[in-house]
Amino acid sequence: MTSQSITTGVVQVVGGVAVSPLLIGLTQQAKARLQGRRGAGPLQPYRELRRLWGKSGVDVEGTTLVYRLAPVVVAAAMGAAILLVPAAESAPGLGVGHDALALAGLLALSRLAVCAAAWDTANGFALQGASRDLTLSVFVEAALVLSLAVAALVSGTTDLRGVVAGTSGSHPWTTPALALAAVAFALVVIAETGRQPVDNPDTHLELTMIHEGPVLEFGGRDQALLQWALAARHWVVLVIAAEIFLPHPQGTWWQLALLPVSLALLCGALAVTETLLAKMRILLVPRLIGVGAAVALLGIVTWLVEAL
Amino acid sequence: MTVLVVAGLVGIAAGGLLSTVAGHLAAGLRLEAAGALAIGLAGFWALAAGDAWGAAFTSDLTPQAGIDGLTGVFLATLALVACPALVFASSYAPRTVSGRITGVLTAGFLLALIGVLCARDALSFLFFWELMTLIPAAIILVGPTTETARHTVFTYVSITHLGGVGTWIALLLLAHEGAIGNSTALTEGSGIQAVIAVAAIIGFGTKAGLMPMHAWLPRAHPIAPAYISALMSGVMVAVAAYGLIRVLVDWLGPSPSWVGATMLVLGALSALGGITYALFQRDLKRLLAYSTVEHLGIVALALGACLLLRRHGADQWASFALGAALFHTVNHAAFKALLFLGAGTFERATGGLELDRLGGLLRRMPWSGGAFLVGALAIAGMPLLNGFASEWLTLQALLRVPAYAGVWEGTLGAITLAALAGTMALAVLCFVKVIGLVLLGPPRRSACAEAVEPPAAMRSALVLLAAACVVLGAVPGLLFSRLSGLAPWADGTDLPVQPGLELPGTGNLPTLWLLVIVSGLTVLLWVARGSRRAAMSPTWASGQLVETPLLWTSAGFTKPLRLVLEAVLRPQREIETTTSGGVVQEVSYAGRVPHLIDVHIYRPVTDGALLVASWARRLQSGRLGVYVAYLISLVLVLLLAVRIGAIG
Repeated sequence: MTSQSITTGVVQVVGGVAVSPLLIGLTQQAKARLQGRRGAGPLQPYRELRRLWGKSGVDVEGTTLVYRLAPVVVAAAMGAAILLVPAAESAPGLGVGHDALALAGLLALSRLAVCAAAWDTANGFALQGASRDLTLSVFVEAALVLSLAVAALVSGTTDLRGVVAGTSGSHPWTTPALALAAVAFALVVIAETGRQPVDNPDTHLELTMIHEGPVLEFGGRDQALLQWALAARHWVVLVIAAEIFLPHPQGTWWQLALLPVSLALLCGALAVTETLLAKMRILLVPRLIGVGAAVALLGIVTWLVEAL
Repeated sequence: MTVLVVAGLVGIAAGGLLSTVAGHLAAGLRLEAAGALAIGLAGFWALAAGDAWGAAFTSDLTPQAGIDGLTGVFLATLALVACPALVFASSYAPRTVSGRITGVLTAGFLLALIGVLCARDALSFLFFWELMTLIPAAIILVGPTTETARHTVFTYVSITHLGGVGTWIALLLLAHEGAIGNSTALTEGSGIQAVIAVAAIIGFGTKAGLMPMHAWLPRAHPIAPAYISALMSGVMVAVAAYGLIRVLVDWLGPSPSWVGATMLVLGALSALGGITYALFQRDLKRLLAYSTVEHLGIVALALGACLLLRRHGADQWASFALGAALFHTVNHAAFKALLFLGAGTFERATGGLELDRLGGLLRRMPWSGGAFLVGALAIAGMPLLNGFASEWLTLQALLRVPAYAGVWEGTLGAITLAALAGTMALAVLCFVKVIGLVLLGPPRRSACAEAVEPPAAMRSALVLLAAACVVLGAVPGLLFSRLSGLAPWADGTDLPVQPGLELPGTGNLPTLWLLVIVSGLTVLLWVARGSRRAAMSPTWASGQLVETPLLWTSAGFTKPLRLVLEAVLRPQREIETTTSGGVVQEVSYAGRVPHLIDVHIYRPVTDGALLVASWARRLQSGRLGVYVAYLISLVLVLLLAVRIGAIG
């Protein structure tokens, strides 16, 4: 273990566990400012978490262990994802490996857990959100795997540490395939974090909800776990965006130094998109993300032609 | 090994005979299970120790039998399914005459499956192959038959026999060319190689249920008794995959790119199509049968990747792809058998398998419901379980196709990679729906509210298969290193044996650690959450009451997808509104998703065949004079032909 890998490990775990709610807070604050409101401050998600953690959960009549387990499993899957996604190229092995495709599996696990809980409560609004989320996930997953495939082909491995190293330095400028994949991944980020134009994180009107739907029936500590898992999901996809698809320097120290800047920029970009774009009609979203997947596919073709 | 094989065969045969004796059905079926276990151990031995038993492959037509590593994998898979299925059957099968006949036919079915796997010459292979096709038809007909069941059996036998011609052509041509067991006999790119490849893909692909040759599978698999469905979906399609692997990967030798590309296209079509149509089924067993099409599609994807990678010189990755195909076949057998047996349990407990009329079974049947839940999670490709491990391997293999192959094959590889990712997400949608409608929520019928656990034999079969899914998911590396070493071009250096999946030069999947960490975090957070809970409350549902008639249905849950895919799926809907005096009295709604391949490929073909048949019928008037006229005109034509020198 070098000092580089220890520092990266610390950044990864502390960042994923403790800093991730700040990402949501920053985005919400930037959005408020852009919309001419004063905003609740970037620390608001922490207050929410504290408030929710102070309340006890409510068990719904007639539910099974599936409902009780769901928030815990979602948070555990996201915890594993935090260990998996490297904050820089010399991340330490934390047991779960660093494989890009395994990450897709963990995201699917958290989605399944929360949707199964929606069935357990038999709440129609929760099921509506669940069915929409799972429908969109078909396209999101294809775009996610294709955009990560471009990065994996460019760097020759699906180990995210190798991908971070293999796409660093001048690669984003000289490899057009990566730029195309970045477009696809941007759509994946918006969909996975549940932001406009795919989903509106601020809505609490049942008929328009996607991600907020399946968590309707949870309260107290259960809800706190789910909220934290959403923050961790932001961390995971934004770190990948920053360390793979945004230009990033070679060398662990430089990567770690630039990470906060990239993350802040990405939060700002999310706030700007949310302000500029209205929510799309739900049935048009798959088309948008499908176009994203096609762009990533074009990236692979570009790479293939270039490699001739 | 000889002892195990003989004991196994004798056990199955004796068990079959014993089960015909009134009152000894259960004992007979258990004896069959023990025999299957012995055969499976022999197969596992051949795989693990790497030593072959019996004869080697021969292109002669003298009957020969033997076991090598590849046969061993499938024999072990057969035992993995057959042992729990038969133990299940010993309590499930009705103690009637038809139950007893089914018992002996099951023994015959097992022997036929073993025969195909152990055959070492073309003739005995084809003999057992036909037997394997016919016995399930007999089993279905022995049971309580309806008009639809008979029609289904007709469809099954006709389609598999039409497709089966491909198997005959492929095997006999291979024997003629001396290529059985000899991968250097055919020259690469020769016409005969192309004919054999096409015939094999049609012949074995029909049996494996690859789209568009799959039409029989979702019809025939569900109507058999649950344990036969498990054997058909778990083992019979696996035997078809065995045939594909033998011919395409081994005997054909290095093949041109189009063979691999065809497998990729068929695989992607079957995977996406299978799971999409599975989503819109109303009957649980039919849904499971469509999902078999999906999973054989995934196996075909891995095989296609294997062929393309081999073609482009990436031998090590080609053997990983082959290992992925084999491993997915094993995994599919485990969870599909579990789900079919689970479906049988639920059918017995509630009296029906209509998805919208089940619900709440996890609370009533914690053991079988819990095992079914594990199977559904495994088939949905959740990490920590076996389905994800082999799908991960397949994704990795497909990702290597663009890395090693040229632009066209590479693009195809990338498209199929996206197709597989989409398939996995659709599988999550499909099996969340199954879990929700079958196991969770309020019971939707009074029978579901009163369901009780089945007898111990049935329960233990389910739990055993669920444990297999967990173990195969926790330590896939132990099996995979042997499976990828089975490639004919492997140089004998297996991957280092370890619990997780570590492929050289790419990311790894430390399954055991993943299991430990995710479940550890789950326990930790569960403890951290504490046990303080507020009083129970009814579902909030934004202030609405959750009433049984208003519960979400299968069609409701898949509606967004149906709308998104409207242009492709062409769903049909009919709304009829009855009004009287300006007041709406009644609204009736019917929606369904027609099966496009049935409508656009099979129906024109069957219509055409019936049309030709009706013309041909005019020739058969039944009058003697006409037949004499036929004969005379034939003789005249022949004489004429001789006269002008066309023949003779």
